[in-house]
Amino acid sequence: MAMSCDRSRKKWQKVLYKDQGVSDNYVDESFLEEMKKNLHIRTYEFWAVVRESNVVMHQIYSVWIFVAVYFHMRNFVLTPQFLFEMSSAVTIVGYIVNFVILHENALTKSRWKDGKTMGIFLILGFSLSPILMTLTKTISTDTIYAMTFFMLLANLLFHDYGTDAAIVSQAFSLNAAIFASICLASRLPTTWHAFSLVTFAFELFALWPILRRNLKIHFPRLQIILSFLLGSVVTVSVATVSSVAVVVFLLLHLFITILCPAWLIRLQPYKNNIHGPWDEAVIKQ
Amino acid sequence: MKHSICMVSDFFYPNIGGVESHIYQLSQCLIERGHKVIVVTHAYGNRSGIRYLSNGLKVYYLPIQPVYNQCILPTVFTTLPVIRNILLRESINIVHGHSAFSALALESIFHARTMNVKAVFTDHSLFGFADLSSILTNKILKFSLAGVNHAICVSHTCKENTVLRGKIDPSDVSVIPNAVDASVFTPTSTERDPEKITIVVMSRLVYRKGADLLASVIPEICSRHSDVQFIIGGDGPKRLAIEEVREHFQLHDRIRLLGTVGHSAVRQVLVRGDIFLNTSLTEAFCIAIVEAASCGLQVVSTSVGGIPEVLPPDMIQLAEPSATSLVESLDKAIAKRRNCQLLSPDGAHDWVRKTYTWQNVAERTEIVYDKISAATEVTLADRLHRYNKCGLVAGKIFIFIAALNYLLLILCNWISPVQNIDLAVDCRKLRRLKTSGVNLEQSS
Repeated sequence: MAMSCDRSRKKWQKVLYKDQGVSDNYVDESFLEEMKKNLHIRTYEFWAVVRESNVVMHQIYSVWIFVAVYFHMRNFVLTPQFLFEMSSAVTIVGYIVNFVILHENALTKSRWKDGKTMGIFLILGFSLSPILMTLTKTISTDTIYAMTFFMLLANLLFHDYGTDAAIVSQAFSLNAAIFASICLASRLPTTWHAFSLVTFAFELFALWPILRRNLKIHFPRLQIILSFLLGSVVTVSVATVSSVAVVVFLLLHLFITILCPAWLIRLQPYKNNIHGPWDEAVIKQ
Repeated sequence: MKHSICMVSDFFYPNIGGVESHIYQLSQCLIERGHKVIVVTHAYGNRSGIRYLSNGLKVYYLPIQPVYNQCILPTVFTTLPVIRNILLRESINIVHGHSAFSALALESIFHARTMNVKAVFTDHSLFGFADLSSILTNKILKFSLAGVNHAICVSHTCKENTVLRGKIDPSDVSVIPNAVDASVFTPTSTERDPEKITIVVMSRLVYRKGADLLASVIPEICSRHSDVQFIIGGDGPKRLAIEEVREHFQLHDRIRLLGTVGHSAVRQVLVRGDIFLNTSLTEAFCIAIVEAASCGLQVVSTSVGGIPEVLPPDMIQLAEPSATSLVESLDKAIAKRRNCQLLSPDGAHDWVRKTYTWQNVAERTEIVYDKISAATEVTLADRLHRYNKCGLVAGKIFIFIAALNYLLLILCNWISPVQNIDLAVDCRKLRRLKTSGVNLEQSS
C-alpha cells in the first residue's frame, strides 16, 4: 500500500464502523499486537521430573511382579498356598499401615464393614474359581498371552497417575487388570492356583494403589526407597524366569526414568501456546 | 464486471440464524447489483431439489441429509460429481463458502479449486488452539485455506484468529463486517415502561453465552436499583439457574423469562427495553448488539472477541467478563439513562442504518470478487506445493487427496463430458426481458 505523505495519516483504529480510507485487506503494524505466547509455562528441573516419573514406574512394577508370579506358579517354583499366605499377610500389614497413616478413629463399624467385604470376596472368589479357571481354557495360549498383554497395557494407559486427563478411567484400568488375571489363571493347573492368582491380582491392582497414594501424600520421601525396593524385587523375580525379560525391563526402566524426562525438557523451547482476544473468556470472580 | 456466484453452506433457509441470514441478505444485494447468485445447501427434511426465493435466487437443496450439527457427513470425494455438475450448468465463476463448521462449504471450495473456479471463504466464528477438537479443525481449515483465493472475516479479531489458525497471508484476508436490516429493527418509544428501567437479554442460555454471569449479575442489580426489571428471551440448559435465582431472591415481578423467541418476534421484545445486556464469553461479531442498537437500546456487553470493534463508545458500555465489572457498567448505563444522557433511540437507529448496511457489505464483497477474477490462474503444481506446506505429514496426505480429486475430475469429465451438460436459464435475462416490457408469453 502506498504511503501518501501529503495526507495527514491518523492512527489506524481497530474498529468496524469507520471508513478509514484503507482497503479491506489492509494489514496494520498493530496486527497481532494483542497476541501473547506461552503465558503459563512451567520450568522443569531434571531430577524433579525423574523423581515424579516413579509414579508411572510403580504401576509398571506391579504389572511385572504379577506376570513374574504367574510364571513362577506355572514352573511350580511358587505354590499357591505360599502365594496366598504371603499376599494375605502383606495385605493385612498394608491395611494396618493405611489405617495408622490416615489417623482414622477406631470406628469398629468400618473395620467390621471391611472385614465383611473381605470375607464375602474370599468366599465368592473361592466358590467361583472353578468357573474362572475354565472360562478361557478353550482359547489358545498365544491368544491368551496376546490378550493379557493388551489388557495390562490398557491398565497402564488408563490408570490414575494423579493427573486430570480425560483418558483416566480407574474402573476401566482395574477391569483390564482383572481380566488379564483371569486370562492367565486359565493356564494354571488347579483351582487353588487360579484362586490365589486372582486374589493376588486384586490385592496388587486394587488395594496397593490406594496405599501407595496415601504413602505418597504423607511420606513423599519414602517413594524413592520404595522404588528401589520394588525395582530389585522385580529384577530378581524376573531374572529367574528369563534373562531377556530382565534386560527388557531394565531398558524400559531407563527409558521412562531418564530418557523421557530429558526428552520433555528438550521439547520445552518448542512450546507455542497462543493467547489473544479471540480466546473464550474465563469468568473472573 | 458481473459475476456468477455460487454461495455454499450447510446453513441456509429454512434454518434461521446468523450465517443463514448473512447468506440470504448478501445474495439479495448482489442480485440487485446485477450479479447472478445461486445457493447450494443440503436437504432439510423433505425439502430437496431446486427452489426459488425472491428475486430469482435459485437454491439447490442437494439430496444429502445432515448427520451431525446440521452438517452433512464429510466424505470429500462423493460431492464432486454433483458440485461439478452445478458449477458447469450455472456457468459459475466464483464459489463462496460460508462458515468453518460447514463440511459442504469446505468440500465445495475444494472441488471448485480442482476445477479452477475461483473460491472465497467467509469465516463467521472464533476458534481456540489448545483442545483436541480445535487442533483437528484448524488442520482442516489450513487445508481449505491453502486452496482458497481469498478469505473474508467479519471482524479484525476474527481476521487475526483466522490468519493464525490457517497460516495464510494477512493481505489475503479482507475484513467485511456483518450488517442488519435496519428497516426491521426500528425503535418505538411507546412500548417502553416510562417508570421502570427495562434491561433486555436475548440469547441462548448456555455457558458460552455467559448465562452464569447473567445469573450472578441479576440479583446484585435488582438489589441496588428498585426500579429495574429484566426481560430475558431465549432458552437453554442454563435456564434453570436463572429460575433458581428468581426463586431464591423472590424477584418474580422483576424478571420475565420469555423462553425461545421466534426471529420475527425479536424486535417486539427489544423495543420494550432501555438497555440491552450481552454477557457472551466469546463472539466474532455479535449481531445481537447491533440489532439492539438499531432499536434504540443502550448496550452493555462483555468485552470479548470482536465486540469492542462493533459499536462506538457512546453506544456501548464494555465490561470485563466478571460479575463485578458487569454490575459497574450496568450501574453507569442506568445512571446515564436516569440523567437522560443516552443517545436518543432515533439517533442510534439512524447511525446503525447508515453504518451497517447489506448494500455496503455487497459492495465490499464485490471488490473481493473483482480482485480474484483478475488474478492469474494457479497451476496444479502450485496448488499441490501450497498443500505441502500445511505440515510435515499432513502436507503429503493433502497432496494425495488433491491429486486424487483431480484424477476423479478427469474421470467425471470423461463420463459426463462438459459439452453434454445443459446450461441453466439465467434469471437475469428473464428479468431484463420483463423490465424491458417484452411479453414473455408471446416470445416462447
